[in-house]
Amino acid sequence: MASVELPPRFQLLSRLHEAHANSGLLSRDAVTEIARALQMPLAEAWEAATSYPAFRAQPGAAETPCGGLSCALNGASPSRDPMAGCRFRCFDAPVDGHELPFPEDRICLAGPLLADDITDWKGLVTVKRQGPDAALSVIQSAGLRGRGGAYFPVARKWRAAIAEHRPIALVVNAEEGEPGVFKDRALLQRRPRRFIEGLAIAASVLRPAVIVAFVNGEAAPMREALTAALRAARALLPIEPLVVSGGGGYVLGEETTLLNALEGRKPAPRLRPPFPVESGLFGMPTVVNNVETLAQLSVVFRGGADSFRALGTEDAPGSKLFSISGRVRQPGLYEMPLGTPLRDLVDCAGGPIGGEVAAVLAGGPSGGFLPESELDRRLLPGLMHPTGAVAGSGGMVVLDSSSDLRAAAVAMAAFNADESCGKCTPCREGLPRLLSALQGAHSGIGTDELLEVIGLASLCGLGHMAPGPIRSARHFWPELFR
Amino acid sequence: MTLVVNGREVAAAGTVLDTLLATGTAVPHLCKDDNLAAIGACRTCLVEADGRIVAACATPAANVRAVETETETVRRLRRTVLQLTLAMQTDATPADQGGPFAGLLAETAAGAGALDRRFDPVSGDSIDLSNPFFSFHEAACILCGRCVSACQSLQHISAIGFAGRGRQTVVTPGAGDTFRQSVCTSCGSCVAACPTTALRPKDGGVP
Repeated sequence: MASVELPPRFQLLSRLHEAHANSGLLSRDAVTEIARALQMPLAEAWEAATSYPAFRAQPGAAETPCGGLSCALNGASPSRDPMAGCRFRCFDAPVDGHELPFPEDRICLAGPLLADDITDWKGLVTVKRQGPDAALSVIQSAGLRGRGGAYFPVARKWRAAIAEHRPIALVVNAEEGEPGVFKDRALLQRRPRRFIEGLAIAASVLRPAVIVAFVNGEAAPMREALTAALRAARALLPIEPLVVSGGGGYVLGEETTLLNALEGRKPAPRLRPPFPVESGLFGMPTVVNNVETLAQLSVVFRGGADSFRALGTEDAPGSKLFSISGRVRQPGLYEMPLGTPLRDLVDCAGGPIGGEVAAVLAGGPSGGFLPESELDRRLLPGLMHPTGAVAGSGGMVVLDSSSDLRAAAVAMAAFNADESCGKCTPCREGLPRLLSALQGAHSGIGTDELLEVIGLASLCGLGHMAPGPIRSARHFWPELFR
Repeated sequence: MTLVVNGREVAAAGTVLDTLLATGTAVPHLCKDDNLAAIGACRTCLVEADGRIVAACATPAANVRAVETETETVRRLRRTVLQLTLAMQTDATPADQGGPFAGLLAETAAGAGALDRRFDPVSGDSIDLSNPFFSFHEAACILCGRCVSACQSLQHISAIGFAGRGRQTVVTPGAGDTFRQSVCTSCGSCVAACPTTALRPKDGGVP
């Protein structure tokens, strides 16, 4: 069965991506031609075309570097400049060049999800035998929460979309645009059948009218793995999934931004309500699930809810994939129960390379730094520390005695300032001013007010969390910011 | 349906901002235009709703029990937001010649005690004089989105949009064109919607 026909502007991002890939830039003429072909206003196509960091308007313009910490901590220059072109090989830092296939030997600790890839579809068979209602009850008793960073209960999200009694859109979020996180690319490349089974389970329960997989446009091996996985899943799915490649941008991790991107609009967050489950992709009730979340469904249904609950906590059951990088002896991917103390993860990864752990950046640019004395805090949904640290999507960067903590914190402020979509005033205006206050001689002036206003007054979650790295670093190491 | 506003129970309808304005509680606001759906971009109408900081324009009254509009925190946040907003303007055109201090932003900032310049102003300086009836001055623009929303969602013309991201964002007709080169029909909706006179009539008067 073909999926429901979406409006022509759904194709905008794919067309822009294609045009950019063909000529290395997006010219005014190319965008004009695409807008005309899709019968959409030029100004709206131009809004999208100029809003992705991966799209260049000038020939020879530099590629956008990823802005992550691992390379800088491992001997590359601490500025944003040197790592242009490299994407998401933080476990190999310092690196250059383009993304390579995820190496099996970087799966350092496997649990139920990363154990050898499955060879049959037992989980899916169980779901089909039980039917959607029973399957939803299993997901609820398993207590599965989203693994993209927000940890929203999966059963509650699905039920809310189903309760709309309208055709549902299922969106697979394979964007993974956070430096220091490489779990979804690892899953898609190394355990694709886990993802395939999970997606087929979701499709069997939600009976979506359309399935869209949004993949990071800058990551070729990941896109190829996703495409291959979807081809392999074709026989298991009621409809053919559509694949859309993005043009980069951390803000795409915010789900309403992702939906705007898919609709050929400027990638900026929408107001909530309405929530995506009520009105998401082109107004359809929409379920957005992360790759890891879907793959965990395979674990839930192959072992059953009780077995899933054997790991993790009462409130946050199951295992979680953690990407650990920076100054640690064995950087890579670790599957550990939710609720594991951060210290166990760092120890498991071999501990610091030089001297002692100076800090861990927990949750990346939306998280916060924790000193060695705080490593017993557990990896759970919500804040691990009031100043910003979160388990988030599982990205943990270790700093050791050789690391420049202040520079690392300022690099995260620079990342957030660069990645602001520009829609709301506190984030767009506040983050660059916060950065210049930190870089200038008068690092104290206005910093508290800026951190407060960005964190409390911004429109979306990324704005709310953007102060974390600086707030936490200033809290634990005030002497570095005098 | 009712909402408790600063301790007083009032009839509630629509958003928190709608309710506040309809029942006589003033809250500074910029990007919410009476004729347009909420944009939620300027973050000026901040209030405490059941203890959470929210933009009143983007919060349905039905989701809230009690609102406080004058706590120390929301007053401080609104002032900082407005100071950041004012710092987006470098246009020195006097108010009596249609400069930015003739607009709603200046009144709003004055009302919130935010007129002192705490942040150094930074802005682009492009000027578009190509339309026969109005001009656009980037140095007075605060990217609130009212003009873009009026053009795209009210008039369904979509002559203008936001190009670029982050601080490089700029309101632009077409694909970085002038108003004259674009599909603009000179309807004037964007000029009427602008709270800062970044879009101003050519005779120099206040819209």
